[in-house]
Amino acid sequence: MSTAAARAIARKRVTFKDISRPGDEPLCWADLGDLMEVPYLGEEPLVEPTPQKFVEKYETSLDGYCCIGIPKPQTKEEEDFLVRRFLSGLEKLFSSEDSWTFQQVLRLSFDYCVKCQTCADACHAYIASGRQEIYRPTYRSEILRRIWKKYFTPEGKLLGGFVGADVEVNWRTVTRLAELGHRCTLCRRCAQRCPIGVDNAIIARELRKLFSQELGIAPVEILEKGCVQHLRVGSSTGMNPPGLKDAVEFMEDDIGDRIGKKVKIPVDKKGADILLIHNAGEFLSWPENPEAFAILFDAAGISWTLSSEPVGYDAVNYGLWNDDVELARVAVRHTQIAKKLGVKKVVIGECGHATKAYVVIADRVLAGDLSSSEIPRESCLPLLWEIIRSGAIKFDPSRNNFPVTLHDPCNMVRAMGIVQPQRLALKAIAPQFREMAPNGVFNYCCGGGSGYAIIQSFNFPQWRNKIGFRMKMRQTLEAFKNELDPEKYPFKYLCAPCSNCKGTIRDGITHYGLWDRYRLNYGGLVELMVNAMVDIDRPFIEYDDFH
Amino acid sequence: MPFIELLGKQIEVDEDGFIQDPDLWNKELAEALAPMEEVKEMTDDHWKVVMYIRDYYLRTGVAPMIRKLCKDTGFNLKQIYELFPTGPAKGACKIAGLPKPTGCV
Repeated sequence: MSTAAARAIARKRVTFKDISRPGDEPLCWADLGDLMEVPYLGEEPLVEPTPQKFVEKYETSLDGYCCIGIPKPQTKEEEDFLVRRFLSGLEKLFSSEDSWTFQQVLRLSFDYCVKCQTCADACHAYIASGRQEIYRPTYRSEILRRIWKKYFTPEGKLLGGFVGADVEVNWRTVTRLAELGHRCTLCRRCAQRCPIGVDNAIIARELRKLFSQELGIAPVEILEKGCVQHLRVGSSTGMNPPGLKDAVEFMEDDIGDRIGKKVKIPVDKKGADILLIHNAGEFLSWPENPEAFAILFDAAGISWTLSSEPVGYDAVNYGLWNDDVELARVAVRHTQIAKKLGVKKVVIGECGHATKAYVVIADRVLAGDLSSSEIPRESCLPLLWEIIRSGAIKFDPSRNNFPVTLHDPCNMVRAMGIVQPQRLALKAIAPQFREMAPNGVFNYCCGGGSGYAIIQSFNFPQWRNKIGFRMKMRQTLEAFKNELDPEKYPFKYLCAPCSNCKGTIRDGITHYGLWDRYRLNYGGLVELMVNAMVDIDRPFIEYDDFH
Repeated sequence: MPFIELLGKQIEVDEDGFIQDPDLWNKELAEALAPMEEVKEMTDDHWKVVMYIRDYYLRTGVAPMIRKLCKDTGFNLKQIYELFPTGPAKGACKIAGLPKPTGCV
């Protein structure tokens, strides 16, 4: 039998009950030979085996990866705690009084899936991994369904396996499920494909909520160093208000150096029309992005301001991915700050999850004088297109005469329907713009969705690079397949108007060496706009710089 | 969290070797951390970068932007990599006793 055939059989052998099996042996392990083939990629770095020190200390028995770093329980009490709290959390998820935010969609998805498996072919992680059973969108949902039946329904308690109530909850089930909640990027392509609208991504998200809110189990970057640090010091990056002021001074100087003109970045300007909130990661990793916003808004005569209040200068809201309480706290702070400044509306910079969290999901938690009837909340993309369409700034598209393609951030495009503004903008300012396939609401996730871009712990970055990013890499290389030659085409630009997507793409390009091999670079939309401004006499994009 | 033994003391670090309590940092500790980041000897140039990062972190809560680090210390990125072969974010920040960067960076 060939190795590939043997692997295929081994994959099929993974059952729902395996989630509870004892021992450190993972349910699957995707090696290079299993992963989806990517044309034009050539040789790639090997898949590093799970370091033994992680296997000894942490939960790695799902697929050899460790995203959260759950310490293995050391005593019977610790084991019992995991089981007890998991079951009480599961019960709360389905109680309207304990968990009302996404109750209806969770309940409908849980009850009505007909297991037709149409969704599996829509999932980038499932396909890219070589169809590993555990990444199938319905695998995790079906396990939860069987547990629910066994522990919370009369027929399940009585008849067990005869009615499909056959998944036992022991501590391994709990720790594996916590990791399995973090093998879905919440891109919701599966929900879009489902003929009856079942949303397996919301089931994954609510599973994470159970772990965060009931057991305090979450990736350190998302909860402790994410939401908690955001609310405590002002930003998930750790940046305090003096740090923001320093970043603003730096960006003003840097704009002067780059374009030869001074531009003022307004901070805490009361009564400005727009409060612009960036993902604070931009200030540290891609300061040219908020700089470009400042140049464009200044040139277009827009009345705007940043906030220097803690939380007000960081748009992120990581609770979107796993925690309703943290989600609400951050959304309330953003709104209080906007009200205090007296702005007419809030605009979120190029950040997908922050846009969805604040512009739509926040409606579920903001009420009364904080509701959207008081202060509208918007994505930046329609405003950026309006700057071009209105003629407020003159652009010379020939300045961007290099191959450009567009990545559609899932949260803004599939989940919110903001499809056209970014394409109309690129068609107007980038003569070599071409779509990748598929695109728009049918895009594939970058692989860093739902916080994976920022999880740099243990061996999880390898999962993101090898499985998460793989489909996006294939799409990108195919979009540029006629211009890959680095000599003839020394600069190619993957436009990704989202901080999380950019972080994933940067790490992916670095992992596969695509900047050195193909001169594939990436960045936001505003940088391309400023690069094409007629009134600026030099390029804004640095063609030899990859960061 | 794992511990490493430095200068006869048990120091708590994360899985990537970043020290967990920034208040424990001092110059001796920096010198002990340096070889792990492929820095054989801490010269005046190394100290200039490390102390700049350290001061910036204590004031702002974050590591300086790379461009700012270069501008304010007078070293270009290539020189920074020569000083700290594992890079500014991993090598220099770790020696300066900063926690691992967080947020969407």
